[in-house]
Amino acid sequence: MRVYQLDSYVLLLSGRDCLQFLDGLSTNKVNGTCTTVFTNTNAKIIDMVEVIIVGENVALVGHNPYKNNLLNHLNSRILQQDVVMRDISEFNKVYISFDKYPQSNNITVVNTFRGWIIVAPNSEDITSTLTKDEFNNYRVEQLIPHQGFEITPLVHPFNCGLDELVHEAKGCYIGQEILTRMRSRNKMGKSLIRVDGEPDDAITCGKTHSLVIRKVD
Amino acid sequence: MDCGTCETAPAIEVIKPKVVDANLTITDKAIDMLTEAFGDDRSHALLVGVLSGGCSGYMYDLQIVENTDIDCQELVISGFRVLVPNASSHLLDGIEVDYVDRLMGGGFKINNPNASSSCGCGESFA
Repeated sequence: MRVYQLDSYVLLLSGRDCLQFLDGLSTNKVNGTCTTVFTNTNAKIIDMVEVIIVGENVALVGHNPYKNNLLNHLNSRILQQDVVMRDISEFNKVYISFDKYPQSNNITVVNTFRGWIIVAPNSEDITSTLTKDEFNNYRVEQLIPHQGFEITPLVHPFNCGLDELVHEAKGCYIGQEILTRMRSRNKMGKSLIRVDGEPDDAITCGKTHSLVIRKVD
Repeated sequence: MDCGTCETAPAIEVIKPKVVDANLTITDKAIDMLTEAFGDDRSHALLVGVLSGGCSGYMYDLQIVENTDIDCQELVISGFRVLVPNASSHLLDGIEVDYVDRLMGGGFKINNPNASSSCGCGESFA
């Protein structure tokens, strides 16, 4: 089993307006467990998160270094909506598995475009079997972007391989006008691609290939 | 996921802007349309709120309600009860509720002096 521990936060949202709240602020249609992206007014990424339905609550799993930016983005917009956020990061660890990972009592497993995301309480004994280099090499070979590397606040979702997470017809959210215009005019800028070797603009280097964000004709 | 600990984790403190006494105006055209919508029944109220979302981050929310569990301040304008949620009063103080009569994009419109920008459809603002 190819498993790697991620540097992730876990926020737990409760309240009757959770899904509507998340749907109104992110790029994908949020009506259940899914992956979505929060963007700012320039359509640049704040964070990509896994939305996981947990009973009556909703968990958000994102990249730890981007947590405060996302919290600031969400916090000022709750207003009169029934949404309560709790940070439960310290009670859980988050892993990614590139092989189907079995469900068990305390462990939450969701299948995403990157692999199986595992959220487990600290008491669960899950071992990372991949080194950082092995994790990155697999990502390069499979063209999987990751926060802090390809997915950063400097790029649009289209630039870093997250096209599928930008819903075409969901309606308004912050950054939507820009993304819709880019898509409708087919001017989506640079794209995430895999190239041979280690060019100067490589973002992640694998054994034989690298991931770069480049203008593609 | 360790949900046994979820409820013991403290809720993240929500930024609560200062509640202001909201001052709203409603144009004559909007009053005419409200009169048409309410009829003679004044037991209901017009809730003027703000939700997250839209292209600019905040969206206006207009509802006719009998009552609400939202913490609101109540105004009476031209005989109509108007409810303004305290949580969004800072965004709604000074607004004008207007009615625009046109085939496309018509309906109730909010003119908001607090908005630094708004999206093309007029439903959302920042």
